[in-house]
Amino acid sequence: MFGTLFIKECKQILKSMVYYIYAAVFVIFLSSQLSGDLTDRMERPLPDQENYGQTSSHEPSAVMEKILANLMLETNRNSYATYPMGFYKEVTLNQRELDEVIQILEDCSGKSWEELTEDMEAHFHKYDQSSMEGAMAAQTGYSVPARESLSYEEFNRNMEKICGIVGAGSSYRKEAIQSGVSVPMTYEQAVEEYEALCEKDRVTGAVSRLFCDYAGIILSVLPIFLGVTRCLRDKRAQASQVVYAHEASAFCIIASRYLANVCMAALPVLVTSFVMQTPYQYHANTMEVSPDPLAFLKYNLVWLLPEIMIVLAVSFFFTELTESVISIFIQVFWAMASLMGAGTLAGDFAFKLVVRWNALGGTNEFLAQRQQLFINRGFYFLLSLAVLALTAVFYEKKRREGETLYGKIFKRRK
Amino acid sequence: METRLEIRDLSKNFGKKQALNRVSLQIEQGMFGLLGPNGAGKTTLMKVITTLTKKSSGEVTLCGIPVEQCAKVRKIIGYLPQEFSMYGNMKAYEALDYLAVLSGMSKKERALKVPEMLEKVNLGDQHKTKVKAMSGGMKRRLGIAQAIIHDPKVIVVDEPTAGLDPEERVRFRNLLCEIAKDRIVILSTHIVGDIEATCENIAVLNQGEILFRGKVSQLLEAVKGKVYMTQVSAMELPVIQEKFLVTGILTSGSSASIKIISEEPPMKDAKPTGPDVEDAYMYLMHQAGGPRA
Amino acid sequence: MEKYLSAGSSFIRRQYAPHLLMTLLFVLMSGFFISFRNLDEVQAAKVMEMYAAFSGILLLTPLFLPEQDREIWLLEKSKATPLWKLYLLRLLMAAVILAAVITLFLLRMRQGGSRFEWGELWLGSFSEILFLGSIGFFVSGITNQVVLGYMASVIYFVANIGAAKHLGKFALFQMMGRNYGFVPVMLTAAAVLGAAGILLREQPDR
Repeated sequence: MFGTLFIKECKQILKSMVYYIYAAVFVIFLSSQLSGDLTDRMERPLPDQENYGQTSSHEPSAVMEKILANLMLETNRNSYATYPMGFYKEVTLNQRELDEVIQILEDCSGKSWEELTEDMEAHFHKYDQSSMEGAMAAQTGYSVPARESLSYEEFNRNMEKICGIVGAGSSYRKEAIQSGVSVPMTYEQAVEEYEALCEKDRVTGAVSRLFCDYAGIILSVLPIFLGVTRCLRDKRAQASQVVYAHEASAFCIIASRYLANVCMAALPVLVTSFVMQTPYQYHANTMEVSPDPLAFLKYNLVWLLPEIMIVLAVSFFFTELTESVISIFIQVFWAMASLMGAGTLAGDFAFKLVVRWNALGGTNEFLAQRQQLFINRGFYFLLSLAVLALTAVFYEKKRREGETLYGKIFKRRK
Repeated sequence: METRLEIRDLSKNFGKKQALNRVSLQIEQGMFGLLGPNGAGKTTLMKVITTLTKKSSGEVTLCGIPVEQCAKVRKIIGYLPQEFSMYGNMKAYEALDYLAVLSGMSKKERALKVPEMLEKVNLGDQHKTKVKAMSGGMKRRLGIAQAIIHDPKVIVVDEPTAGLDPEERVRFRNLLCEIAKDRIVILSTHIVGDIEATCENIAVLNQGEILFRGKVSQLLEAVKGKVYMTQVSAMELPVIQEKFLVTGILTSGSSASIKIISEEPPMKDAKPTGPDVEDAYMYLMHQAGGPRA
Repeated sequence: MEKYLSAGSSFIRRQYAPHLLMTLLFVLMSGFFISFRNLDEVQAAKVMEMYAAFSGILLLTPLFLPEQDREIWLLEKSKATPLWKLYLLRLLMAAVILAAVITLFLLRMRQGGSRFEWGELWLGSFSEILFLGSIGFFVSGITNQVVLGYMASVIYFVANIGAAKHLGKFALFQMMGRNYGFVPVMLTAAAVLGAAGILLREQPDR
């Protein structure tokens, strides 16, 4: 029964307008984001280049001086950027709190507030602040070295105190510090990066990662509409009563619909990904690297599939629960919060719905954080199964009671 | 397994409102008519039998299976709800096939049964018509096909003839009678004519309680000798309607010939006449304190 | 006049209430997600463009919801009041509520000591958010599927995060770049979409 229902469901999806819009929007979005040629970003670095871009560092002294620099700048303005629920929220401290922060800053750097302010002004004076480039260079070049005797543990404890004062979601939270800081790359590091790109990523891995980065954004929203449409279809067609009275179990009905939607939603993703990475299979050969022909598949399955699954599962759940479009609001909000709350565009996966790696390469850094990604995606994979089971339980209950949560709340108005 | 539906002391409350009050019924093989005004609790009763609503108290067993065992019960029931419809973009064949899958039928069975059923409900030529293009009558016929395709022991049809034209209505009744040969068909309706033409056994439900349970002839028996025909002037009508239970009026010019149910002859020139089921039903409802027509 | 008032209030009570409730919740919860304090011009524009913008989608998309049911549609069609008047009434009502929501957001930012040009930001936000909402209104009108309406406006919003540069004067998020030239364009577009949605919906062979 399950298999037949699954196939019938897939055929139904192929007849629905929403699905074609889904596929079209996905393809258009991806091709607009990934249209440029990436090959010029895959060249072996030369020894005398002016700069080699940025890399992230986890080395304690580098982390400390950059984090302290950020703290200094924010304290000087008395304006702290936080992302408590994903959206930007600016925090301003009162004098007592500000004094506490200054005290911690003085303790970490071993300098007085006056000295720190003087150093800062001297540093920024060296740059031409009126031009964009100058301001950026001033920002990236600025650092506040920690005092020699400050241990990394003590530093972390101090930053915890800062978090207590500034509030949730600041740049001083543990995860943000752990994700490293951005520092200029040296020639040796650039070569190392290049070699990792060739040997570990075999080129196609890096391309697939960039694909997943963009696809992950749009897939946090698009499948919602497939799920909501499917679940509202019974109500719209006045078919729910008939379906309820049939023998098929709630699990069989819900799971076959769900699985069909997951598979059909993944289909255009796989195809687009395959098409987009194909040129780089050839390009890798010209770089004398043997590409990984299945890299795109691996990345899609690990990175994007759990995302499609959780987005669909949640939309199934809320739509069956309320028989309304409320799921769209909740989930779009969730997706936006996840997207805009990202402190960094590469890494810091935590338990975000939309995980980012907006860089071609960064191979070693990615591999170091890969475990975190697996945990994140594994979590969503299991969560979507749990949500699905819950949906089936609720569906069976609805079948017996003939009422929805939404119906109960709003019934009297009708 | 005996084909038998048993309902004992069934009650159902929606909040403070009591939709069914200690209803008891035994239903055997054949057509069974459930009659009652709108809001009498018919649909609630149907939904309890088809596992779509939980009962508050009492017992319901279908062929020996208590209704709590939903999965087993759903296997042996076919249900045609009051407003039957299917996904609009499915063709008749696809829709029936889809619902047959939900009933757990194998591919082989479906390949055999789906065309057969479509033929039976006279949709054979229209198996490619999309549901959204179907008339009310066609949808009903598709509905009955899906209710019987898996050969259930109990078929529940809720207000099946509402919205059908007279010809379709007759065809539909005949179809139901044919199906009822070897199973229970429960027909719920507020249209007396449907019952009169098809059912031998009936129950009348009013305000959640059973008013009458028995054969159609017994229902007629109760009103025998109490139905009168007479001629009155149209001017008198309002007064007469106030005073008696009037079940039929045929106005021609300034006079009207009317049908009255009364224990005593209502007036001198009133002649007794043979009752029909509608008279009996009206009498019953009247005695229960219902409206006068 | 009285019949329009009662038609409007009946719509609010019977179909629009949950959507208004969602909008209210959205406004009330904003304090948890975003800050209204001490924002400069660009940050204030960001609040309006990235957050408040959703109120347009919430308010304008479900206006055709009752008539999605064919029976109701046919019934209403048979009445003396032409349907386009009803739709227009709802659209105007939603626009008024939207104006109130925008005023509320600006008031809260003002109270928090934010600095911005009141008239400019109000008009910019109103036209941009109305435009975004009217996309949903238009699409749900011509397709008779509310879900597609939401899909269109949400996708338009998301697409702007990545591809705003291809959209010219129709691009969202321009106020964050201190650019207000889009106002007349978007107001016109919103009016056109609104009118087209109402007119195309009532084509006989829907």
